[in-house]
Amino acid sequence: MSDHVDGPRSIGDPTADLTDLFAFTSPENPARTVLAACVFPSAGEDAIFSNVIDHSIAVRPVTVAGVGNAAKFVPGSEEIRFSFRFEVLKRDAAGKAIQRGVCKLPDGRELVLTVNDENGASTPEGDVRVFAGLRSDPFYLAWTFAELKKVPNLLQHDNVLVMVVDFDTRRVLDPAKGSLFGAIAETVPLPQPPGRIGHPVARIDWIGRPEQTNIRLNNPGVPGDDIRDLWNQQTPFNIAKELQPMFLRRLTDSFRNYDMRDGKPDWTPEALAANANVFLDDFLLFDVAKPITDQSHLEIEKSTISGRSYQTGGGRTVDANVIDILVTWLVNHDREFLQGGATQATKPGMKVFPYFATPNMELQTVAGSVELAAAPEAVWSVIGQFNLEWHPAVARVRLTGTGIGQLRALGTIDGREIVERLEEIDSAKRWYRYALVAGVPASRYTGTIDVKPNGSGSIADWRVDFLASKQPDIVVRDMVSTLINTGLGSLKLRFGAAR
Amino acid sequence: MTATVEANRRLPLATHGEIAAINLESARRRAWARFAQDERRPGVAETIVDHERLAAQFLGDLDALDRLEALASQFARVDDSSRAALVQAEVASTVHRFADARSHIARAALIGAPREAIERQTLAIDQACGVELDAVLAARRRIATKSGRLEDLVPLGAMLADLERFAEADAAYRQALYSYDDVSPFPFAWVCFQLGVLWGELVPVPDPKLAALWYRRAIAYVPGYVKARVHLAEICASQDRTGDAAALLLPALSSRDPEVRWRLADVLIAQGRFDEAETQLAAARSGFEDLLQRHLLAFADHAAEFYAGSGDDRQRALELARVNAANRPTRRALKQVQTIAACADEAAAAATSPTNLPGEVRRERHDLLY
Repeated sequence: MSDHVDGPRSIGDPTADLTDLFAFTSPENPARTVLAACVFPSAGEDAIFSNVIDHSIAVRPVTVAGVGNAAKFVPGSEEIRFSFRFEVLKRDAAGKAIQRGVCKLPDGRELVLTVNDENGASTPEGDVRVFAGLRSDPFYLAWTFAELKKVPNLLQHDNVLVMVVDFDTRRVLDPAKGSLFGAIAETVPLPQPPGRIGHPVARIDWIGRPEQTNIRLNNPGVPGDDIRDLWNQQTPFNIAKELQPMFLRRLTDSFRNYDMRDGKPDWTPEALAANANVFLDDFLLFDVAKPITDQSHLEIEKSTISGRSYQTGGGRTVDANVIDILVTWLVNHDREFLQGGATQATKPGMKVFPYFATPNMELQTVAGSVELAAAPEAVWSVIGQFNLEWHPAVARVRLTGTGIGQLRALGTIDGREIVERLEEIDSAKRWYRYALVAGVPASRYTGTIDVKPNGSGSIADWRVDFLASKQPDIVVRDMVSTLINTGLGSLKLRFGAAR
Repeated sequence: MTATVEANRRLPLATHGEIAAINLESARRRAWARFAQDERRPGVAETIVDHERLAAQFLGDLDALDRLEALASQFARVDDSSRAALVQAEVASTVHRFADARSHIARAALIGAPREAIERQTLAIDQACGVELDAVLAARRRIATKSGRLEDLVPLGAMLADLERFAEADAAYRQALYSYDDVSPFPFAWVCFQLGVLWGELVPVPDPKLAALWYRRAIAYVPGYVKARVHLAEICASQDRTGDAAALLLPALSSRDPEVRWRLADVLIAQGRFDEAETQLAAARSGFEDLLQRHLLAFADHAAEFYAGSGDDRQRALELARVNAANRPTRRALKQVQTIAACADEAAAAATSPTNLPGEVRRERHDLLY
């Protein structure tokens, strides 16, 4: 390759990209509150946190300063902040990569945690428990917003990196002074050490209520520049005064457009303006003195705009259907619930810590193929032998049993032992299938070897499907690829490559 | 700026390269899984193109090119919109099939692709092919001035370097370093690499010390940056630090980039380990031929260098250099043809002489790259 692979277009670090924020009462213990934030959309199966980002969840007390068309929520200045930082990778005794991190608590204490440890880390007093790691994406989006058309969940099988803080509500939030709070999450680069070039970056991303940027500010039905980056550069709880009119105008235009998506006006201009005002103050409202349920998201805002006292704790649970709640409110003012094309995320949340479902894993495939000059029968007579003695990476083989169920214990030249079992064989079709018993850090591991005619020669195919276990997927993939490529490569030498 | 002065400057923090590489691989595979679920899902094919190009550029994963070709044809089978045409154009351009890329772009324009996407791709192709250079430079300046972003400043720097306006190129690259406001290590590594090439291989009087500093920085950002390792290893080898050169190359052997084996062979030769060198040269030769079979235009220039040097097949070198120059008649491509042709003539003249020409050819390399 030459110079002009024109460089990264995906120019940012996805681990700084906040996807969601949650605030709910612990399903395990009603005296505890859970805050959680997610980063890295479509993270895959091996993602880990950046070591140069401070990931924070901040909470401020909020008061209701107006109702009806004058609805207003005002945050206080006191801030309760949980900050996660992560380290570079380390290797454990077995050579496995591990990542550790620290969560700094509002009172300055620090909790050391290991990424992906489901038990998380707790303070000695047990008042705070934290978790960080890969989980199934709890969000689901099943609309296309250009036409408001129902589609299947666009985030099906996705994973994200999640940070969870589970704490004693009374000790941390002191709700006796007021039970209504606003939460935000933000990702901020660590400060540059002195002497480094470049300019300081205040913030990469932040989030309050779900979909402030993608749906409310970037409504595809409203013309205008994309102002999401500008929004992301604002300071949470303190949007720049000079920019507020511009953001307000965009929100009002957006809400007017959503109102007419079903052809029926459900909002007065005054009520639309009230909504814009409330959503401009972007923080996730939750009241720890009232029930927070899967249905209570946005109830505090909606009731207040409607001129009545709110009844629930609002917030956002893991399973809350936040998109449909929002779309229904904006499009028809809760006249008729608008259900998108999915009713739940890939996996529902868990009732126990860390509350977010285990990550989705997909079967991985490594396959190789080689075109050979020899006839299929000749090739099969060699590689159809389950003993794999023809393979140059195999130093010795021990067979146990015969026929289906036969075991082969392969001693490889690099000193590993792999045990596999014959599952099925069809010599007429020149094909067999085997399964792993031990020796590769993978589960659901099956392999097939077959030989097909190809002109005057043949094609040998070798395919392995697996789910990596205890080792990153890439490690297993490399291991299997090497085995397959070395094996197939040796056949070329033995039988000659097809011309 | 001298290497000593430059060495005192510290570059911005970024996510550790090992973490970024794992995350890139994780996201890349996830994008393919999403593509398998629904090939036409908005943005997924385009995301794969981005991920695969990053994998090829920074991790030396040359299989990415095969995957890109597969993506383009698979996507085109199920999508007849301008999206598929743009993806086909991007993939064709990545593997230097510029004529194909232009025809895909023309088709994309006909079926309503966004003007900005058409212009961006056309500009990249014009720059790579060395055509309409004044217009390309003007456009690059306009875009970079408007956005002030790294991803626009680096191509401007490359354009200026192509035009041998080295001080301006250096300034554009440095501005890119200052302007970036995220923490991915890839963009930083990219700029450092470009500065290494600028000072090590493009300026009339190369400054290997300064170039080595930039390559080291690129590797510090992304330890698996194969191209940066290869270039730094060359500098080490040229300074008789063959142990350092080997230490840089050995971790990159798994990348399947034949240039790694080629450079390692040169190191082994310098160390007098001729049998091992021959093994590496055979692997490099086979690696290049394998790549040329699949992506002739993408690797013609580097393979020509290889055959003109340690690969020791001047006719093959000349043939490949001509293929490259016909595909993109840039100054450097034409110069490569001239240099190799001259060496081939000399070689023919000296066919009966025991003079060892490959070394002389290799010394021309700094003029041939980029």
